[in-house]
Amino acid sequence: MSLFESPRRADSDEIIGSDVATRALSVTAVENDFVAKVYENIAWAYDYTFGPTLHTGRLQALERMGIEPDDRILEVGVGTGINVDLYPRNCAVTGIDLSSSMLEKARERVAKGGLKNVRLLEMDAVNLTFADNSFDIVYAPYLISVVPDPVAVAREMRRVCRPGGKIIVLNHFRSPNAIMARLERMISPLTLYIGFKSDLDLPGFLAQAELKPISIEKVNVPRIWSLVTCIKD
Amino acid sequence: MSYSPGMPVDAELLEILACPHCKTPVALVKNGTALKCSTCRRVYPIKDDIPVMLIDEATIED
Repeated sequence: MSLFESPRRADSDEIIGSDVATRALSVTAVENDFVAKVYENIAWAYDYTFGPTLHTGRLQALERMGIEPDDRILEVGVGTGINVDLYPRNCAVTGIDLSSSMLEKARERVAKGGLKNVRLLEMDAVNLTFADNSFDIVYAPYLISVVPDPVAVAREMRRVCRPGGKIIVLNHFRSPNAIMARLERMISPLTLYIGFKSDLDLPGFLAQAELKPISIEKVNVPRIWSLVTCIKD
Repeated sequence: MSYSPGMPVDAELLEILACPHCKTPVALVKNGTALKCSTCRRVYPIKDDIPVMLIDEATIED
């Protein structure tokens, strides 16, 4: 599988570029407090709105994890716990989120499902309070666009993942197509109302987070979402 | 794989959990209702079985 889903074209040069290691990843900025407030307000509706539309990507991410018995999995941005009952019961799942309202939903879901292999903690993704190399799989579903510093979060995910473990990011990134990319940059201030950066730069993100993907797949309909699977060196 | 109900912080979690401020280990205190860092003395509450590992939510206790 190739690293990037399409060969470089002339119109993608401005997107890939030679400054991936340093350039700004988005024209927009979000703050933790703002995002937390957004999710406090939409916690009740999240499963109905973002549930079905983004579900295929979640299932595909689970497949990419290749979970083995006793694997320790960290889900960063566990939200309402929409994934928790997808995991096999013989692995240990730790879910963290910054929004207490979303976590309350997750707690109800864990209790209802009798999921004794799932634990939840309130935590800032940019300051994961775990020792280095604590997990076999570290997964961030639909999170990276709503954190103030995506690279810092990815570096934390990398830190807590054991060498040889998987780091999986499911997210929307700016299109490699120049016209689409411009459109995404234009609408980005609008999507910010839900705390979402629509113009995040994938090559820049990967370079700055020092993540080397083994696969990048387009998922969901429309196929504007990327499932990025990396192995920690 | 199973965690005990009513025990939000199991032994394995305690082994890897660190204070968000000092990055040093934390210990269960107050009958298992909070986590304390012995370095900075911050106490992190456990609310509805969910440890709140946020510096802003911690209290500093002797």
